[in-house]
Amino acid sequence: MHGLPQAEPTNATIRPGAAARRSPGWRISRRVRIGLASLIGTFALWWLLTDITGVIGPHRFPAPAEFWAAFVQIAIDGYAGGTLITQAWYSTRLVIMGFLVAIATGVPLGLLMGVSHRAEALLNPAFLLVRPIPPLAWIPLAIVWLGLGDAAKILVIWFAAFVPSVINTWTGVRGVDRTLIAAARVHGAGELRLLWEVIIPGSLPMMFTGLRLSLQASWTTLVAAELVGAFFGLGRVLDAAYRDINPPMIAVAMLAVGVLGALTTRLVAVAERRLIPWRS
Amino acid sequence: MKDIRFDNVTKSFPTRSGTPFVAIRDVSLAVAEREFVAVVGPSGSGKTTLMRMAAGLDHPSEGSVRVGGREVTAPGPDRAVVFQQFALFPWKTVRENIAFGLRCKGVPRARQDEIVAHYLKLMSMEGTEDRFPHQLSGGMQQRVAIARSYAIEPDVLLMDEPFGALDAQTRTVMQEELVRLTRKEPRTVLFITHAVDEAVYLADRVVVLARDPGRLREIIDIRPTREAEDWDSRPIDQVMDLASFTHLRTQVWRLLRDQIRPDD
Amino acid sequence: MAFMTIADRAPHPRELMLLSVAGAVLFFGGWQLLAMSGAVSPQTLPSPIAVIGTAWQLAFEPFAGHTLLQHIVASLGRFAMGFGLAAAIGVPLGLAMGRFRLLDDIVSPIFEALRFIAPLAWVPFAALWFGTGIGGPVMVIFAGAFPPCLINAYRGAKLVEVRLVEAAQTLGAGGFRIMAEVLLPGALPSIVAGLRVSAGLAWQSLVGAELIVASAGIGYVMVQAQSNLAPAIVMAGMLSVGVIGLAIDVALRRAERLVKSRWGQA
Repeated sequence: MHGLPQAEPTNATIRPGAAARRSPGWRISRRVRIGLASLIGTFALWWLLTDITGVIGPHRFPAPAEFWAAFVQIAIDGYAGGTLITQAWYSTRLVIMGFLVAIATGVPLGLLMGVSHRAEALLNPAFLLVRPIPPLAWIPLAIVWLGLGDAAKILVIWFAAFVPSVINTWTGVRGVDRTLIAAARVHGAGELRLLWEVIIPGSLPMMFTGLRLSLQASWTTLVAAELVGAFFGLGRVLDAAYRDINPPMIAVAMLAVGVLGALTTRLVAVAERRLIPWRS
Repeated sequence: MKDIRFDNVTKSFPTRSGTPFVAIRDVSLAVAEREFVAVVGPSGSGKTTLMRMAAGLDHPSEGSVRVGGREVTAPGPDRAVVFQQFALFPWKTVRENIAFGLRCKGVPRARQDEIVAHYLKLMSMEGTEDRFPHQLSGGMQQRVAIARSYAIEPDVLLMDEPFGALDAQTRTVMQEELVRLTRKEPRTVLFITHAVDEAVYLADRVVVLARDPGRLREIIDIRPTREAEDWDSRPIDQVMDLASFTHLRTQVWRLLRDQIRPDD
Repeated sequence: MAFMTIADRAPHPRELMLLSVAGAVLFFGGWQLLAMSGAVSPQTLPSPIAVIGTAWQLAFEPFAGHTLLQHIVASLGRFAMGFGLAAAIGVPLGLAMGRFRLLDDIVSPIFEALRFIAPLAWVPFAALWFGTGIGGPVMVIFAGAFPPCLINAYRGAKLVEVRLVEAAQTLGAGGFRIMAEVLLPGALPSIVAGLRVSAGLAWQSLVGAELIVASAGIGYVMVQAQSNLAPAIVMAGMLSVGVIGLAIDVALRRAERLVKSRWGQA
């Protein structure tokens, strides 16, 4: 159930298209002004609905002050077994590990299936069976196999990030301009050179689309896995806060998940720009 | 230097309906060493198929294609191809693109640099070596592609409508430069185009194809006239005004005209 | 024989067919043999035949309160609600954002701020606000399915030629008519592509939500089986999740092709 090439919209930012309409200077400043106003308005509304009028009670959503108190509590004293930094690092480390394992296995497999019709034919049946199973559905099996520790988490993140890595690398390879392959051939390039200097760089943009999708899937899966059962991590914080009926702490943990997701996505974007300098 | 020989070449492609599509039927053609042959023909006359078979990117269904006396089976650095869409590697700089074939051949680094510098100068592109293709104009990109092909010192140069994607002015400039380059460093050239004056201006001989299926229609000798009137030392606009040029151009054009249908 | 067959001609279809059959036989045969050999206990890895047998059995015998079919019906109901709600709100909002810059400027920052929160992180609030029966899971599904609906409608609307909008304006069309008769059909190919992605995310958010908070549904079956240490039932659940997800995807793929053939490549 993973999206195909065009199916990456969940990642792309909404801005570029809109920004191109008028002169950039004017456009950006206007955008920023309205954007800020919008965020401040949302904040004011939040404050109004919770603290001032009490339309939304504290058992449903925290007021700004409660949110801040919960943040201070977990940042300094800790919650559910650790401070915010330790819990966040714990989750991030698992995501990075699972993600790296997925890249290390998925990209080569995608290359192999892209480059060779024979390998594709041989591996496709197994892949077709595994592909429609959502990564979250592996969680119970991973727990049966490996328990509630780190190994099970890494396994499910691997499953989550593996499929998009394979598919996008594979489509990327198939999308490499045939004329370029012919051009390399007529200039005397052998198989290895063709792979390394033409096919891999040609499929890099698509690979990165896959990596961004993989990363997002990794975070979603990790949070779910930690909610199902874990000893540490942000999902554990969420779970504990839910059981304690502690809405402020739930909100803090959600915010942390969002910030980490955004940061790691940004990291991939930076790597992309570094590795694909030829794109304007 | 090597020659190119097509002997009774037929090329057909399988289709879904079952009856194969015949792109080329029974074409025999020889391009001598260091000769510049231009192939013109309406779309559907199999010009590009002819070129791809010489390159080893396609294979004849019947007959044989030989370069330097040897049957063509696969692409090789003795036959460089210049593509209409330039086919520059977007992830390589100008220098890396030109050096690509040299690296494939295992030319030492220092020698690579010399050759790259030589062609950058010859194509008047000094200073662009560290740019990426997308930072260059279409004309510049095609210069890089031509330089890349020349750099591997191929015996045979195969050009598939290399100026087809360029605007009219750039095209004229490139035609002049190609004449300069090929007279200075002559190669065996098979040049595919659909522009009649381009073919007459550049080539020693112009091959006219007929279509449906693609087959040989006529071969017109340009070289005697060109040498008699010394075209190469005149600017292109002057050449194209000469009575001898317009005469040859009309001759080729007439051979093409009766094949062109209103839907082209 | 070159290994990189994309650079040359593809091998004969019959050869590829044989390789595919060999691949399937190797995969299932290897799995079955591994399970039968006793090297891995059935408590860890049940054989494929056992998994299918278990799925068949569950179709008639209740587990975790209901038969498998009843669980599936419960799941599909939640899925339809969450996905439908996301499409009903996301698509019009996306189109309107593509049309009206002010709305775009107001909504984009809020959307951007919330976008990176994994949909499953909404589970605690969803349960707190709407309970663990139907409302909570539906909200989680909504959180998963909403972004692609909005983004693709927005992009589709941006891709509609300005000239068409201007033409409609000069003919006297109002804002609503432009949305319904110019932007919506123009953006439809993009929207349908977005709905497909969205359905995939909705389905997987559903499974996640049911794993964590629910008292029925296919995810609930799996998590119950996990605590009973019954991997055959877990895998039977995975099998049904995969099959239903695939069916949803195939249906939407059909719809996508239909829209494309009718409105052309957009």
